[in-house]
Amino acid sequence: MDEYDLPTWPPGTDLETAGTGETRREAPAKVTGGAVYSSDLRLPGQLYTAIARSPHPHARVRSIDADRARGLPGVVAVIGGEEGGEGVTWYEESVPLFSPVARFAGDEVAAVAATSLEAARDAVRALHVDYEVLPHVVGIDGAQGPEAPSIHGTPANRTADPKVEERGDVAAALAAAPVVIEHTYRTPTAVHNALETHGSAAWWQPDRLTIWASTQGVTQVARMTAKALGLDQSQVRVITEHVGGGFGAKQVPWKDVAIAALLSRRTGRPVRCAYDRHGENVAAGKRGATRQRVRIGADTDGHLLAIDAELVGDSGAYQTAGEAAALWGPYQGLYHCANVRTSVTYVYTNTGPAVAFRAPGYVEAAFALESAMDELARRVDVDPIELRRRNHTGIDQQQGRPWSSPDSLPLIYDRISALAGWDGRPRPAPPADDGVYRGWGFATSDWLAGKPSPPGYASVELRTDGSAEVVTTVQDIGTGTRTMLAQVAAEELQLPADEVRVTVGDTAAGPPSPTSSGSATTPTMAPAVRAAAADARRQLVEAAARQLDCPAAEVTLDHGKLVAANGDTRTVAEVLEAMSPAAVHGWGQLVEADDSVSVRTFGAAVAEVSVDTGTGEVRVTRVVSVPDCGRVLNPRLVKSQIIGGVTQGIGFALTESQVLDADLGLPVNDSLEEYLVPTVLDICPIEAEPLDRPDTVANQLGVKGIGEPPMIPVAPAIANAVFDAIGIRFHELPLTRRRVLDALAGAGPPGDGVDRRDGSGGGPA
Amino acid sequence: MNPFDYHQVAEAAAVPARLSAAVRPLAGGTDLLTRLKAGLDQPDALVDLKASDLGWAIDRVDGGWRLGALVTLSRIQDHPGLRADVPALIEAVSQAATPQLRNRATIAGNLLQRPRCGYFRHPGVQCWLAGGEGCPARTGRNEHHAVFDTDGPCVATHPSDPAAALTALGATVTVLGGNGERELAVADLLRAPTEDRRVEHVLADDAVITAVTVPSAPRSTYLKAMDRAVWAFALVGVAAAMSAADGEVRLVASGVANTPWRLAGAEAALAGTGLTPDAIDRAAAAATDGAAPLAENGYKLPLLRALTHRALTAIA
Repeated sequence: MDEYDLPTWPPGTDLETAGTGETRREAPAKVTGGAVYSSDLRLPGQLYTAIARSPHPHARVRSIDADRARGLPGVVAVIGGEEGGEGVTWYEESVPLFSPVARFAGDEVAAVAATSLEAARDAVRALHVDYEVLPHVVGIDGAQGPEAPSIHGTPANRTADPKVEERGDVAAALAAAPVVIEHTYRTPTAVHNALETHGSAAWWQPDRLTIWASTQGVTQVARMTAKALGLDQSQVRVITEHVGGGFGAKQVPWKDVAIAALLSRRTGRPVRCAYDRHGENVAAGKRGATRQRVRIGADTDGHLLAIDAELVGDSGAYQTAGEAAALWGPYQGLYHCANVRTSVTYVYTNTGPAVAFRAPGYVEAAFALESAMDELARRVDVDPIELRRRNHTGIDQQQGRPWSSPDSLPLIYDRISALAGWDGRPRPAPPADDGVYRGWGFATSDWLAGKPSPPGYASVELRTDGSAEVVTTVQDIGTGTRTMLAQVAAEELQLPADEVRVTVGDTAAGPPSPTSSGSATTPTMAPAVRAAAADARRQLVEAAARQLDCPAAEVTLDHGKLVAANGDTRTVAEVLEAMSPAAVHGWGQLVEADDSVSVRTFGAAVAEVSVDTGTGEVRVTRVVSVPDCGRVLNPRLVKSQIIGGVTQGIGFALTESQVLDADLGLPVNDSLEEYLVPTVLDICPIEAEPLDRPDTVANQLGVKGIGEPPMIPVAPAIANAVFDAIGIRFHELPLTRRRVLDALAGAGPPGDGVDRRDGSGGGPA
Repeated sequence: MNPFDYHQVAEAAAVPARLSAAVRPLAGGTDLLTRLKAGLDQPDALVDLKASDLGWAIDRVDGGWRLGALVTLSRIQDHPGLRADVPALIEAVSQAATPQLRNRATIAGNLLQRPRCGYFRHPGVQCWLAGGEGCPARTGRNEHHAVFDTDGPCVATHPSDPAAALTALGATVTVLGGNGERELAVADLLRAPTEDRRVEHVLADDAVITAVTVPSAPRSTYLKAMDRAVWAFALVGVAAAMSAADGEVRLVASGVANTPWRLAGAEAALAGTGLTPDAIDRAAAAATDGAAPLAENGYKLPLLRALTHRALTAIA
């Protein structure tokens, strides 16, 4: 049954199971250590892998001498060099798996399979790799310069020509605008650093390859691995039971999959290949740094007249299929503006490749645009939320049609103002006699995804005891997908959720499923499961009608009973028993995206901070988040996603940044000790209240994704709160002690991302 | 990791004879094991001290406390007598690392841990301190590095919080070596590395710390600035202690030099005045006398002055 053939779920609270805060079903296994992650697997005769990575940011591999490594105890196979990849190519540039030219410090040059991880690591140290060191460049400014070495032979190291989109006459509108805000903003390279590193186990048996992967997309891994290895996709089975964090970095297969597969084929044994923390930091994806030169023009009431954004992002040494950073997005779509120009350029650098990271592009762009909007609000003396209301649009201005939820932002503004107590905040920020200043900040967000990513397929089989089994290949990456899908099926079948079992994360279980990216899992899979459950219900009703000897239209399902118009009743179990060995097997799908609608997921955040002007410490003391994800299927799971997104947003704002040494071309903080993800003590009370308003133009269930959007407005809300507290506008993240103290001292060198000219706010002079 | 032999010893007295440049002592191992894994240290053998009688008692002694070398940071943190009598040590210990690490890390080992400089620890970089040449931090990413005494071969900072507190408290260590036992001030134990000693302490290869003796200073404190709330080494820390014996105030900073750094200028500003608000202002201003920051760490100067001010105010 196709989702689009079904009626829309009723709005409001008329549902029974969907919309309740079921605890995620794998929670007991996770907290008791019983959940088996890919990294917990131990297959019979399994070998372990260590990877030799280039220590140089740019070097030609002249030769690899593996004789000594091969002779070490426990070593079973060594592969490396261009021929070691057996023709497998990688990245969008289709370079050999072990590239003859290493283009970042950490680029894979060889791999060892051994009977223990220790033996494999010892063997990697025993490899002798002869490198011809080449000139390198890190950082987007240098990479575009005339002196920069060419990384892939492209002009100015660009990955492609700039992507320019313009409507109206930006130059004229800016020239005529009475108010212009102009700055260059910078965001840092951030690393996902999921607790479970990238890793997989592969077992190549005759005619088939089984992969246990830590991935956000079992189908994607099967498809790309089959293509890379020259197999038919049906020969590759990918299994993912639990994932210890993805955040975008696991939405494509990385080289661990191919290395494990090649070594398994060569050795005839299952092979596990997992990145260590160093590899995870340098060679498993990142949110690339950006430089955003932004000009916004407005009238004296704060109405936007023009937006011009020159945007440059760091692609790293290669492009990945999973990188979709849409830096232009918020500039083009968030506000009503007739004259908008965005130009986006990605440049190669001799650093690890970038890949999607939780709302890629929007997190970076929102920091710049929402900082500029806050500055505009101060300049024209309009409340920051009122300024957003004045610039609201319900229209997708690029497509010229309404958003699927055109009025959700004004409702978000209402809700978050009330929830945060925005109008009652201290204005101006109060003076401090202990050097600790407090401030409030606001930011809005939009996100281009959160809509279906078809196709999604599901089946629902009813068991003779009346319970149901949902089967889909889609993976649960820790967001609670299993639980949510059970609730959807239970709703349609009028079952308690605990009478619905769910099988996920195995490509052998059914047709392809979408990657968990773009916050698409719920809007794709919930409708498909609902359709499958509806199909099962239809079959059940028809079977009951036959048994009750009446037309199906006269039979209704009522919580475990099938009731005919004349009052005759059968229980579901009785109907199923009577029709055995035939069974009810529902089938559902969502195979087409409705391209006639423009779907956005909007949101907003308020942050309260304290800034200790003596020590430069910024503490976030409260975050209020009001996102719109359409209908909330499970408020507990939605809140978990908001907490996670806000937490990563706090890290992006305050602590997270990959620090590169330009001379050596190396990151100097490639560990969890030095790359500072927030700890629980860095996190404040987070008040989350999703709008919970079905977006029935988006799909029949009115659901949109929530995984990514809550992170987007957090960093600008914090930066705006810091301005409110101390009157300093930061144009670069993260807000470390150094950045804050340098700004307070006025000691920062030019271009350090600090601007004290916009001192119109509260705080110390 | 390079293979190595593993031994245990029962008697502290037998330890010096077992140790050499190639045979190193192992206690909590919270730093040593990470260095072994990184290939920074490649000993032939480790002598595990944990099963020995080296001492894990916390004893009241005349004028202060005696801590066995194997006392863990957690046990110090939880000790009510120490909390009342040497709060600077408690505050330093409880802001160090994480609970898991503090359960394992010993007080003696904590003093002897190696710098956390990202270059020193990087397997792909062979800096002077790691046995190679040059100091890439001096011209590279030195946001976390030293601001005092930066003319030497290395600009890494000493990573220990307790070391700064113990230096301010005037603590001593008991060192057992081949030539017997001697008492050494923590301030003399920790020394900036020199051309012929690429390590931050003066212990001979056969020497081991058996105890740490801490004089009482109920008016003492340790303040620490980190870039996150917990589990980070000090950007700057300041220990201030007023000696219970003679009322003298000692100020020692962490995160600013190769070793815990005595703030002599600040101490001089306090001489003979008592901790009056004016004196505290002058002392804080003098805390950075002689500082020579690197390109990225000038922010440590106002931070040091602010923490000095707050530390002195706290014990005034």
